[in-house]
Amino acid sequence: MKAMKRYLYDGTADGLFSAISWILEEEAEPENVVLAEREQTLFEDGFFIATNVTQAESLFVRLRNRAPDAAYSISLFMLAEKGGMESSLLNYIALVFTHGDKVSGYLTHPAVRDIVSLAKKAGRELHRMKGLLRFEKLQDGAYLAKMEPNHNIIQPLASYFCTRLRAQHWFLYDVKRRIAAQWSNGGLQFGTIEQFITPALSEDEKKVQLLWQTFFKTIAISDRKNPRLQKSNMPMKYWKYLTEKQGE
Amino acid sequence: MDTLTKLQILSGAARYDASCASSGSKREASSGGIGNTSQSGICHSWSDDGRCISLLKILLSNDCRYDCAYCVNRSSNAVERASFTAREVVDLTLEFYRRNYIEGLFLSSAVMQSPDSTMERMVRVVETLRLEEQFGGYIHLKIIPGCSSELVRKAGLYADRISVNIELPSQVSLQRLAPQKHKDAILEPMALIGREITSSLVERKADRRAPRFAPAGQSTQMIIGASPENDFQILRLSQGLYKKMNLKRVYYSAYVPVSDDNRLPVLASPPLLREHRLYQADWLLRFYGFSAEEILSDDLPFLDETFDPKTAWALRHPEFFPVEINRADYATLLRVPGIGVTSAKRIIAARRFSSVTPEGMKKIGVVMKRAKYFITSSGMSFEKAGRAPALIRQQLLLGEATATLPSRQLLLPGLFL
Ligand code: SF4
Repeated sequence: MKAMKRYLYDGTADGLFSAISWILEEEAEPENVVLAEREQTLFEDGFFIATNVTQAESLFVRLRNRAPDAAYSISLFMLAEKGGMESSLLNYIALVFTHGDKVSGYLTHPAVRDIVSLAKKAGRELHRMKGLLRFEKLQDGAYLAKMEPNHNIIQPLASYFCTRLRAQHWFLYDVKRRIAAQWSNGGLQFGTIEQFITPALSEDEKKVQLLWQTFFKTIAISDRKNPRLQKSNMPMKYWKYLTEKQGE
Repeated sequence: MDTLTKLQILSGAARYDASCASSGSKREASSGGIGNTSQSGICHSWSDDGRCISLLKILLSNDCRYDCAYCVNRSSNAVERASFTAREVVDLTLEFYRRNYIEGLFLSSAVMQSPDSTMERMVRVVETLRLEEQFGGYIHLKIIPGCSSELVRKAGLYADRISVNIELPSQVSLQRLAPQKHKDAILEPMALIGREITSSLVERKADRRAPRFAPAGQSTQMIIGASPENDFQILRLSQGLYKKMNLKRVYYSAYVPVSDDNRLPVLASPPLLREHRLYQADWLLRFYGFSAEEILSDDLPFLDETFDPKTAWALRHPEFFPVEINRADYATLLRVPGIGVTSAKRIIAARRFSSVTPEGMKKIGVVMKRAKYFITSSGMSFEKAGRAPALIRQQLLLGEATATLPSRQLLLPGLFL
């Protein structure tokens, strides 16, 4: 077996893409390369590739032009923020440049399977949250939705709600990551919140919530209860912020 | 009566309606308004019976003048009656939509004073939502048979999907069980909607700004088991509706006894398995290139209870098999039991790179325990040659001993308008 060449990057997304761009240019056989995040140790085992934002962006643009579907999968994969997958990503991108979008059918290749399956998971949660996110009306008329997703989906989720709820002033808040998105007056901003203070709800909020809870109860056919099916479609980890599941 | 009580009565009365789909329409948000629709449809919650909730599904009123034998809201039945005002429905829809509880509204109604006055109030709801509130979310509106064509046209301009329920699979049954409804009053608006949809599509090709008419199409619903029609009659009716009326979907709803009216059959339990088989056969009509005459015939007028319609067809057609996975075209792959639309597409995609192996087929999602009797992979078969259908039947039965009804489609009739 050939010795694997080892490369390192700084752990950021830009760093990852600059490293991949560099390797694809310099290495004829990316399948014989290991790419990993640099650890804070005295002795580095591998060659460090510096981050170059322009190069990272240009790689992504080239990917999007060559294979838009695969580029979308990659951006979903990045939402998973999963470590240890860098070499798979490198190999996947190399395959994308040879096969284009057809690569997603190549599920027998381990790198394709790695990336596609993680991308699918992230995509599934993103789609789910588009339905399961719940806003509450605050005293000042703005709306707030809290969530604790497994993947870091606040950016695509927020841009989805920009078109859907464009006439409202709203916030999304990722409780675990402490990231917030704000939409107001046609502008979207992201930021981190160090100390979250729960704001007061508007006066009619509880009334509307009660209407929804009532609808939720009456729409079910009571002698066809099927909690297992309900949970498999709507896992319990999402119930915490679901208006209809409060007080259960 | 306050809104909460009305909501309780009027969502309870709508609960048995089959259709919940919110997909198939793409409506952009207007700049000052609220909401859009998405092509794939979104579930916002799942109720305690496990069904997807995507729309605020309610009746405008359950205060019915008609007396259809199979319906809880028939005038001779003693239930609590309620009616929403148009404004109440508009406000509920908006408040729910702003909090992301729903994709939109599904509005149906019993016949209040007259079909026209009822439909008029329903149209007022959607008109207010679209024009005054600039609501861009999904709207499914039921047409009250017998209302004016002017109201049907208006409904189609504002709604994403409209539907007229066909109720029962034949005119004779309709006359017997729903004497105040007439076949023509059902078929006329259906045909009108079909024509309007087609012409709006043509116009929009010429001019993108031409108005849309029910962009998510029209659907209908019929009750199964309250009248004597066989499955072959029902499937041929559906096939005609898909082909001639351009329907997007036909929903089937197993009849559940709601009264001891002697015009109705006495059933021990709702024919849920039959309903399920009809949905499967309907699927074959729409996505698998089957015709009703291939699935059933006058000599064989009922769907097999033991096997799904595709497996039943395959067992009757041994000459069609085995199918070679690495060569067969898409239409042929689709005929193999255990291979669905997705897995057929995946097989075709995967074949580009290398031939598909049994391992690969499992990963792709092929149900091998069913498919293995009907396929070869690069010339290799999975079962001994000389597959006598009778033997395969037996084998399949053994493997299928645990098959249970999917609980997704448990539909009882309630209101069929
Ligand atoms: S089916 Fe419709 S018209 Fe007939 S009784 Fe029920 S609500 Fe009234």
